[in-house]
Amino acid sequence: MGTNASQLEKEIGLEFPPNERFFGLANFGNTCYSNSVLQALYFCKPFREKVLEYKAKNKRPKETLLSCLADLFYTIATQKKKVGSIAPKKFIARLRKEKEEFDNYLQQDAHEFLNFLINRINEIIIAERQAHLQKQKPNAENVNDSKSQEPTWVHEIFQGILTSETRCLNCEMVSSKDEDFLDLQVDIDQNTSITHCLRCFSNMEMLCGDNKFKCDNCCSYQEAQKRMRVKKLPVILALHLKRFKYMEQFNRHIKVSHRVVFPLELRLFNTSDDAVNPDRLYDLVAVVIHCGSGPNRGHYISIVKSHGFWLLFDDDMVDKIDASAIEDFYGLTSNVQKSSETGYILFYQSKDCN
Amino acid sequence: MHRVASAGNTGGSTRPRKEKRLTYVLNSADGEKHCAGINCLAISKQASEGDDYLFTGSRDGTLKKWELNKNSATCSATFESHVDWVNDLVFSGDNVLVSCSSDTTLKVWNCFSEGTCTRTLRQHSDYVTCLAMAEKNSNILASAGLGGDVFIWDIEAAVAVAPNSSDPTEENASNGITSSANPLAVGSLRTISSSSSISTHFNQSSGYAPTAAKGHKESVYALAMNDIGTLLVSGGTEKVVRVWDPRSGLKSMKLKGHTDNIRALLLDSTGRFCLSGSSDSMIRLWDLGQQRCIHSYAVHTDSVWSLASTPTFSHVYSGGRDMSLYLTDLATRESLLLCTEEYPILQVALQDDSIWIATTDSSVHRWPAEGRNPQKALQRGDSFLAGNLSFSRARASLEGSSLVPLYKEPEFTVPGSPAIIQHEILNDRRHVLTKDSVGSVKLWEITRGIVVEDYGKIPFDEKKEELFEMVSVPSWFTVDSKLGSLSVHLDTPQCFSAEMYRIDLHISGKPEDDKVNLARETLKGLLAHWLTKRRLRLSSQSSSANGDLSVKDFTARSLIHSRIEVDGSADNDSTVYLPFQFSTVSPPSIITEGSQGGPWRKKITDLDGTEDEKDIPWWCIDCVLSNRLPPRENTKCSFYLHPSEGSTVQILTQGKLSAPRILKIHKVVSYVLEKTVLDKPLDNIGSEVPLGGPLQHSAIGDGSTRSGLKQIPKFKPSIEILCNNQALPLDMSLATVRAYVWKKPEDLILNYRVIQSK
Repeated sequence: MGTNASQLEKEIGLEFPPNERFFGLANFGNTCYSNSVLQALYFCKPFREKVLEYKAKNKRPKETLLSCLADLFYTIATQKKKVGSIAPKKFIARLRKEKEEFDNYLQQDAHEFLNFLINRINEIIIAERQAHLQKQKPNAENVNDSKSQEPTWVHEIFQGILTSETRCLNCEMVSSKDEDFLDLQVDIDQNTSITHCLRCFSNMEMLCGDNKFKCDNCCSYQEAQKRMRVKKLPVILALHLKRFKYMEQFNRHIKVSHRVVFPLELRLFNTSDDAVNPDRLYDLVAVVIHCGSGPNRGHYISIVKSHGFWLLFDDDMVDKIDASAIEDFYGLTSNVQKSSETGYILFYQSKDCN
Repeated sequence: MHRVASAGNTGGSTRPRKEKRLTYVLNSADGEKHCAGINCLAISKQASEGDDYLFTGSRDGTLKKWELNKNSATCSATFESHVDWVNDLVFSGDNVLVSCSSDTTLKVWNCFSEGTCTRTLRQHSDYVTCLAMAEKNSNILASAGLGGDVFIWDIEAAVAVAPNSSDPTEENASNGITSSANPLAVGSLRTISSSSSISTHFNQSSGYAPTAAKGHKESVYALAMNDIGTLLVSGGTEKVVRVWDPRSGLKSMKLKGHTDNIRALLLDSTGRFCLSGSSDSMIRLWDLGQQRCIHSYAVHTDSVWSLASTPTFSHVYSGGRDMSLYLTDLATRESLLLCTEEYPILQVALQDDSIWIATTDSSVHRWPAEGRNPQKALQRGDSFLAGNLSFSRARASLEGSSLVPLYKEPEFTVPGSPAIIQHEILNDRRHVLTKDSVGSVKLWEITRGIVVEDYGKIPFDEKKEELFEMVSVPSWFTVDSKLGSLSVHLDTPQCFSAEMYRIDLHISGKPEDDKVNLARETLKGLLAHWLTKRRLRLSSQSSSANGDLSVKDFTARSLIHSRIEVDGSADNDSTVYLPFQFSTVSPPSIITEGSQGGPWRKKITDLDGTEDEKDIPWWCIDCVLSNRLPPRENTKCSFYLHPSEGSTVQILTQGKLSAPRILKIHKVVSYVLEKTVLDKPLDNIGSEVPLGGPLQHSAIGDGSTRSGLKQIPKFKPSIEILCNNQALPLDMSLATVRAYVWKKPEDLILNYRVIQSK
């Protein structure tokens, strides 16, 4: 706990929200990919509440990644001090045990980690639910069917539905198929905005040449137009900017530092005609930022919004920042500099869930 | 591939090294009729009134010529050679017909032949969607297709570089252009007797090349040319109408306005006005002199797919996805619903006061249209004023102002047979359940190409479930219904993976547990006519050099394919067994491709025996002529045979056993009985029994126990075979037990026990 912590408390002063803690997380050797994502998730209110609820309900759980996360969030939330830093030792140890790829001291991709974490938590919830049901009705054979198919709270928070609409250019029939998503991964262009990236994401794609569409109506392969649009908007929309592009000439991933403006308030325009809640309005609540020049080097930090002001978490350091400073993380307008501090994963939270 | 022998034509080809496939199409019983949607039609006007012909091109891959009399149409020729949908057709002069297809080729036909394809033009790299002809300069033809290809042909010149063979099955090698990457290789093709049809190849180092109109970035779906061939318009997914000079292939302008794919185009005879129909549901009239759109007509409620105009370009007939045919006065914008079809309209053609309509259905209708005096129709009907905003009609029709068509019934119908639109391969891999466009559900036996059961109009899925059988047979063929009938695809070596016992096929006169390879017998059935004619030819020509050549060919290849096993269990006899005899009344057609010349299609009864490895995949020839099958995956199944818990009977083998996958459980029973009753110790206790080893020879899958087998019910004590504690039926095969009872990837474990007879 450095001097930084008490400075922060002073800086916030009387505004300091009651029952809120701002704690940095110690780095165990390149674990900033985890620290940055954990901080962002901690400040995604619906997620934090559910994790703490899990902690409250499961007094003595078997150790899982979720139980370790719940312990960590609980530890932060119940600190006597308002600011400081703690070491997420148990969580990191568990993480290294659970996935080989993370069992080292190398820098990892924060998005991969987020993806893994969310999916694993979901699996744990489902597994525990099943075990619970089996205990209740040991002879029931169809426990797999109804109850365990219900969405988990992870689904309820992060899951949205994409619908891909394909129009055969011969018979012009439109067929659509839905798929669930936990985050949207969007390609980025220089000097654009998130809205632009999302529009591109939903651009019409032509299925032609060797990639024709097998049309059931025509019983044959035909050209078709396909596009992906959002049918159900999630409570928390996680947007992953594809900043690491594989360059064949270098035989590795290169960071794309393009300037992409992300607004503090977002409305999706690439929704399908039959979307459930197309008008959902989102607030930016957290951003995982990548600093540096490549996927396997550099550093991850995060900025989060809490009670109306913005904080920057850099491992064990916590700083209050001005909202105007967020612009610094949009990216670079020129590609001269190799290194940059750029928004990488954006967490938008629906206004209607507050 | 190991085609060392033919060092000729592979040059320039970048095709992946995959063996060619053999497909057979199970033609509908009524060969006179089309059995899939009609993509195109045209009327050939004869000098003498009343002798007009209708030509239709279908998704079934064929074109048909219909002799039109007052109120009848007789199919007088079927043009079969395309291997995919026929997409468009035009006439070149009085007796030449040109068609284009999704098989990427154009074909030139003699209109008044029995179906002679005189030339195949291979230039396009993707589906050819449309053609256009200059009416007064009918040598000039344009073709366009997916990927943006547009070519302008001088048909006379294109045909001239090829020989005018009189053989109806003419299928020449590529005309030298597709192989232009390596002209030397093409030039060095050996020339064989020109009397042989399919195999005729020519030295075409001076091939004909059409003019390419380059500029389309995306696919082209519509074309039109003016009378004298000085103006060409094209349209497609780029949503613009491009105007070209077909003499040079150069762009002259681009017309913007449509907001979706352009599906139909027309030019007036002077080349000043152009009409376009689009998926945005609009018809637009363009003044090419002013280079702008002068009218847009919102007539249809959905995509416009076909246009036809009166000779003076004063009125347009239009049809499309909304199944409606409208007549519109281009000047007054007055429009009228003439008639409605039951299916989306694909193409229309005016004939005097009538109009022919082709739809996605296999029949063609002729409706009255007052083509010579369209104003008469407009006055009689309930006309409306066409709006000029997209979807203004759609909105109007939503608001309930539905139009009443002027004509309720077509004057005349050229019937088609319903197309197969759904299919399911049954588990026995010999039967396919189909549903056609009128809802009839039928069961096909694909090794004979016939319908064995017509269930009528019943729910397809229910029948499918009802016919479910717990049988596991390797999938040895694939099926599609692109051509409105079943196309069965055979690919080597997968197709040779399925075997059956003769007894199960009711083939008599042979040991009943002789195994029959389904693909081999099917190929024999398909190529029976070819084989017979080939034998006749060879024997009559045995002294000629030509005959010797092909014999040598096969000997040479046998050496090359020495790694291929000769299936010793079956004798090399060419008798076609009953379950593999194809109908000669409606014979199936073969679609395949040899080492040269591209894919072709022909009825099996039309094969004349001259086709060789340049036309038929070598593996089919090998299989039928020399009984050589490619190395296959193991057709054996390994299993363990253990006494079931508490069983008192013990037999002296705990080792892994091996038997054909198709071996029936009663054979296992016989084996157990033999081992117990005879109480004969085996040498190979505890060891893995090799394939075809003494065990298999003496007990399993061999004729020696046959006499015992027939008395199974009389066995005392009886033996029961179990798997996963489930007693197995005697006629279940090992493969089926594995797939439906064992359900594990590990080696199968069977148990046996004695059941006391009552």
